[in-house]
Amino acid sequence: MRKTVKGRWRLAVALGAALSLGISGCSLNEGNGSSSGSTDSSVLRIGTTTDVSNFNPLQSLSKTDSWILNAMYPHLLRIDENAKKAPELAKEYRYEDGGKTAVFVLRDDFKWTDGQPVVADDVKFSAEMIMKYKLGNVAAKLTWVESIEAPDATTVKFKLSQPYAPFAEGVGFWMSIVPKHVFEKAGDLSKFPNDSNWVGAGPFVLDSMTKGQRYVMKRNDNYPLAPGGKAAVSQVEYRVYPDVNTMMLALRNGDIDLMGTPVPVSAAKTFEGDSKIKMVKVGALGFAHLTYNMKNKYLADQDVRQALSMAVDTKSIISAVLQGDGQQMAGPISPIFSDYDNTEIQPYPFDPAGAKTKLTAAGYKDGNGDGFFDELSFGVACDQSNANITRVVQLFRESAAKAGIKLENECVERNTFLSRTKNGEYDIDASQWGVFDNPMDQLRSTYLSSNPGGINYNLLESPEMDQLINDAAGTTDAEAFKVKIKNIDKVVHDQAYLTPLYVENFQFAYNASKFTGFVPSPSDLLGMVTAYSLAQVTPVK
Amino acid sequence: MSAPVLTEQAVPPVVPVATGRSWYGYLRQPSAALSVLVLVVMVVMAVFAPLIAAEPAGAGPDVLQSPSGAHWFGTDDLGQDIFAQVVWGTRTSLVIGLAASLIAIVLGTAIGLASAYFRPIDAVATVITDVMLALPTLPLMIMLAAVVNPSVWTLTLIIGFFAWPEVARLIRSQGLVVSAMPYIDGARVLGASGWRIVTREILPAVVSLVIVSVLLTASRAVISEAGLSFLGLGDPDAWSWGRILLNAQRSGVIAIAWWQTLFPSLAILLLVLAATVAGMRFNDTRDPRRNGG
Repeated sequence: MRKTVKGRWRLAVALGAALSLGISGCSLNEGNGSSSGSTDSSVLRIGTTTDVSNFNPLQSLSKTDSWILNAMYPHLLRIDENAKKAPELAKEYRYEDGGKTAVFVLRDDFKWTDGQPVVADDVKFSAEMIMKYKLGNVAAKLTWVESIEAPDATTVKFKLSQPYAPFAEGVGFWMSIVPKHVFEKAGDLSKFPNDSNWVGAGPFVLDSMTKGQRYVMKRNDNYPLAPGGKAAVSQVEYRVYPDVNTMMLALRNGDIDLMGTPVPVSAAKTFEGDSKIKMVKVGALGFAHLTYNMKNKYLADQDVRQALSMAVDTKSIISAVLQGDGQQMAGPISPIFSDYDNTEIQPYPFDPAGAKTKLTAAGYKDGNGDGFFDELSFGVACDQSNANITRVVQLFRESAAKAGIKLENECVERNTFLSRTKNGEYDIDASQWGVFDNPMDQLRSTYLSSNPGGINYNLLESPEMDQLINDAAGTTDAEAFKVKIKNIDKVVHDQAYLTPLYVENFQFAYNASKFTGFVPSPSDLLGMVTAYSLAQVTPVK
Repeated sequence: MSAPVLTEQAVPPVVPVATGRSWYGYLRQPSAALSVLVLVVMVVMAVFAPLIAAEPAGAGPDVLQSPSGAHWFGTDDLGQDIFAQVVWGTRTSLVIGLAASLIAIVLGTAIGLASAYFRPIDAVATVITDVMLALPTLPLMIMLAAVVNPSVWTLTLIIGFFAWPEVARLIRSQGLVVSAMPYIDGARVLGASGWRIVTREILPAVVSLVIVSVLLTASRAVISEAGLSFLGLGDPDAWSWGRILLNAQRSGVIAIAWWQTLFPSLAILLLVLAATVAGMRFNDTRDPRRNGG
């Protein structure tokens, strides 16, 4: 008898412990956590997801790195609220010599934090170093540059080997300008870590950091784009929250004032009924897509790609995964580029039965009667940390089965996914393009056989496409250029090289009881944390 | 290394065959009966999952609903029923738990018995077991699972491969005691081969320990599977409890949808607790000191 009593007791303790664990887990979000750290009202604390991996602004390609680096190093142009280019360091730009020379005229009032002015030589130096060491994604945009001249302190001239319509826009937006007098001492810039004694000319400059915890940025007392000549916020602090749930709770608890990452659609309810937290919605500069590997024998068949496009229910994906907060696309050009988006083409209709008929007509057979075409079995690779895309793949797999196409979900850990993408080890790539600042650069990076941007996920090698793209790139007449881009949009759609899924909206949450005045730009790369936006923020009195 | 007799308390060489009476005695303990009942319910749920709930698929309009009559465990951010996910997750969890534990048991018992009886093997096997026990298994499992294509079978192999050393260690220590018994010497004198002695004389004496190990290893395997799936290293096509948790974490709904994390966690807790208690009680029933034998 004694034995049973003891056994019962042990079970009760175990269950009790489990229950109390559950209860304490629930109380985590009741908002009783004490806020720690600085309470100075003019310190803006921003949540980020990961540590800075590379402090060299010419080299870094990471989104979270750019949030911090873009606040330190100015760009010639920025993208404003309406997805249009706006002046930043450059007052204006123009083409001369029939499009073969791009001229930027700089402002004369930008200063590095060590007191030196920002001059044309800094721009020339930055571009030349990028070309010399092939740094970052800007190197591909400088392909046509033959020489760079800085005739005076505020003029920079890029001499091009051939006219390239969006040259100034692409380079102006993407290229960080670094201080020549600091960076030239470093020697080989492909190995320069730039991880201490920062000198910048943006509204804020890194001052100190604790890895895994926080990055403290001090105000630059001379930032001409801020009202009053310097930012109203005295300090910006990035705090690292690898998990989005924790970051949202930190915002609710007042531990941070702004989330750098967008709030997942599914979690938007978290801030409902919280009067202090405000949500701001911005558009995207990229889009989610399924891209077909042309090296696969069956995916190289246009009929198969079209059938796959008919087997994706983009409408219900948008309504379920994005809760309706997204736009459908037809071709590869996002509707945000309204001048170039070919509105005559329509998305492939969701029609699994039609897809099946198409495949049967193309000669594919279901010999073993399992409901799937014998040859058509593909893996869909995706990054499992992307909540939306993993859901899309799950739904795509189910709808493709109705069209007789067997798909295997190959959503894997992020680094594995990136290395597979790099090596072309996938049949179908389900991913999201972050930022395309203009359609020409996009088409070049995604479809040229030379693969200058490294994101030709189709691994497409088509002389016809190369010809179409190169022809458009050399077109200087704006109207003719638009027509050519629209034509490529149509060709890609007919070929179904990719199935565009959606352009999503991003929602950013901030504590409106403490700060106001953000100027959000589209995309999750820019969002609320561009240099320009941070310079406009004011604490609520 | 200590003398064999010191490694474990002496056990009777009698083969504790589970007779009807001893099963009855086992199940008469409420904690044992309860945990066995839980295990049986879980197995039934796994086998008859399609009859209990439709396989979670597609997307529905009822997004993030809290538990109600229509959705006992609520719904997730796609509008899928969490109860169905938990029921279907039982399949994956049980299959991986059992299969991985079988791999571990077969490997562990073979290695344990071999090293208990054959001295030369012991030296090598003990070193290998020690090294395996010293390895940080979770990081290694994460690394392996990230490299290979995640599927139920690769996960099973990985988990099973990392779980055998504990079993080997347990079986070896018991085997050492048994092989030092006079009746083993007797068998040897009678001319029995080493194979015969290990399989016919020693193995039956440790079989109840093997049963206990199956339960304990399976419960550890279930936790490993849930952990790997939660880290996104599970089979993306198979429902598992870890994957439900991952979905909640990834879509940022942990704070607003407690049901999406509570129910799969409870399922893991129940299964692991039941397997552990059942194993412990079984171990107790065969303990001679408790049985006055």
